[in-house]
Amino acid sequence: MNIWWKSAILAGALLALGGARLPFEAGLTRELQDVGLMSPAMGISTRDRIGQTSSVVALGGLRTLVATFLNLRAFTFFTEQRWSDLADTFDTIVDLAPRTRYYWETGSWHLAYNAASYYQQDSKLPPLRRREAWRSSILQGRAFLERGIRNNPNDWRLHAALGYLLSDPNKFPAFRSLPETFAAAAEAYQKSSATGEALPYVRRAGFYSLARVENREAEALAMARTLYAEGVENRTPTLLMLLLVLEAHENPSMDVASRAIELFGTSEKAYAALSGHWQRTRERFPVFGVATALESLETILSIPKEKSIYNRPLPPPFDPNDLFEK
Amino acid sequence: MSTATSKPIKGSHWSRILTIATHAFTQLVRMKVFYFLAIFAVIAIASNFFDLPQHEGPEAVGANVLRSIKSWSLGAMTLFSVVLAIVATALLLPKDVEDRTLYTILAKPVPRFDYLAGKLLGVLLLIFVSLALMDILMVGVLQIRTSMVIEQQQAMAKGMGWTQEAINSLRVETEANGANASLQGAVLAVFLRASIMASLALLISTFSTSTLFTTIVSFLIYFIGHFQADAREVYLHSEQAGEGVFARIGALLFSLVLPDFQLFNVIDAVIEGQVMPLMELGKLVVVAGYYAVFFTVASWFIFSDKEF
Repeated sequence: MNIWWKSAILAGALLALGGARLPFEAGLTRELQDVGLMSPAMGISTRDRIGQTSSVVALGGLRTLVATFLNLRAFTFFTEQRWSDLADTFDTIVDLAPRTRYYWETGSWHLAYNAASYYQQDSKLPPLRRREAWRSSILQGRAFLERGIRNNPNDWRLHAALGYLLSDPNKFPAFRSLPETFAAAAEAYQKSSATGEALPYVRRAGFYSLARVENREAEALAMARTLYAEGVENRTPTLLMLLLVLEAHENPSMDVASRAIELFGTSEKAYAALSGHWQRTRERFPVFGVATALESLETILSIPKEKSIYNRPLPPPFDPNDLFEK
Repeated sequence: MSTATSKPIKGSHWSRILTIATHAFTQLVRMKVFYFLAIFAVIAIASNFFDLPQHEGPEAVGANVLRSIKSWSLGAMTLFSVVLAIVATALLLPKDVEDRTLYTILAKPVPRFDYLAGKLLGVLLLIFVSLALMDILMVGVLQIRTSMVIEQQQAMAKGMGWTQEAINSLRVETEANGANASLQGAVLAVFLRASIMASLALLISTFSTSTLFTTIVSFLIYFIGHFQADAREVYLHSEQAGEGVFARIGALLFSLVLPDFQLFNVIDAVIEGQVMPLMELGKLVVVAGYYAVFFTVASWFIFSDKEF
């Protein structure tokens, strides 16, 4: 048989068998994508950003390896405080390895915490621009984390990281509406717990956020009671205090001082806890009934006027203007 | 020279194939290909030191290093196995011609299919042994590092007064990032991809005129094969996208002729901590088996009456 006939037969076989395997391979690709074993195809922009050599390596089945290299590069950008380059690099990294939680968390941490702190103290910029850069970094970090959650909806740590970012008092002024932010934080923590894999602190942290959402006090109180009933490990000073103030909100005629003594054990401990809560102004916790309870306990404990908690100045709420006007 | 077909052929196909495979394996081992294991050992150990300052909670301490070890090791395995598959196969036929071993073998009553299958099996054996050695090294490094990470995490968790349930859950999570069955599935996927490449290089070497040509064309097909899935998607959705007839035909030809190497990129997901179901692994074996058999039969088809 001459070479032309052979080539023709081979080409025919290649096409015929190719036609037979095409639907199988298409189906297998979809199946692998469904079980999370195959990432979506690498976009043109990602290919452009990583350059030709890395594209070839990444296309050759080494996407995570390229992501590892880029992570090292991003660390250099971090040490050199090149935030824009860092953000671009993390965008590329997560395109290459969208299921690695570490990259989403690290990228968001660099933007919302490190870059934001850098801009806060960047003396080269005028105050207004520093404030805007600070705010924009935090929002960028939040958006990055939310993108990570959309890619990994069952990852408890990413939800918890978002909850933590949204309930960080140092970041409050970056968000437009505080009640909405607390509600978003509570929801993030709730989704984290709903995965069934989160550590116990996540539910408590979710409750701390929920307790600060206006008009959802009844829901928060129910959650506080559940957590309290579940065991001593949940009875942190913050949880006890929020349980107390939410009960005071539900029943304004309640004797808050007596309930505080019941919850904290002694009048002294109750007074110390209530005083501490009174001073925690930055975190914007509710204070229903706290003032009345403090007054009653000061009478019970015969605390002289000059040592009264009311004579101690309250720490001012966090105001970024204080930082940016320096 | 053509094969002597008049003499009766002694022994089974398998025994002949195994004899040629053993010879090809020995021939390749003598080329000192295992020296690359020293480089792999350096890579596996060096990947331990990419422990960047971490920002996560104390419960996640050290977990990133485990991913780094897997990423570097599986990356190196992929690279070594594909290079080995292409270069070793590309070398075999020309070397046999150069040493005149081919004439001696084909002068005997050895079917040409047995010769080709034996050569391919020898290369696959070499890749398998290399990957097994690299796998042992990777698992060893990973096991040691995982136990160190777990120890560190347990000490931290106990210090912070975690409940036993939480400590156990952390342990399970960290172990999932260590050496497990899915990781072995990923190593198998690396082997399957290299097997396809070896059989493809064998096909090319049956009509190629030089080792260099076989190597270059094989590497090109390897990289282009990673776009096959894109071409298939273009073809399957071209009607909705309003693609022209030529674009459709081009995409169809591309997807019919080239192997889909993207399927074997499941190793990335395993590095990221995904579990590889046995069923999916089985389907990958079927795909790789199809390509290996098709390319080997096609090689025989070309090689069967080739004159030397």
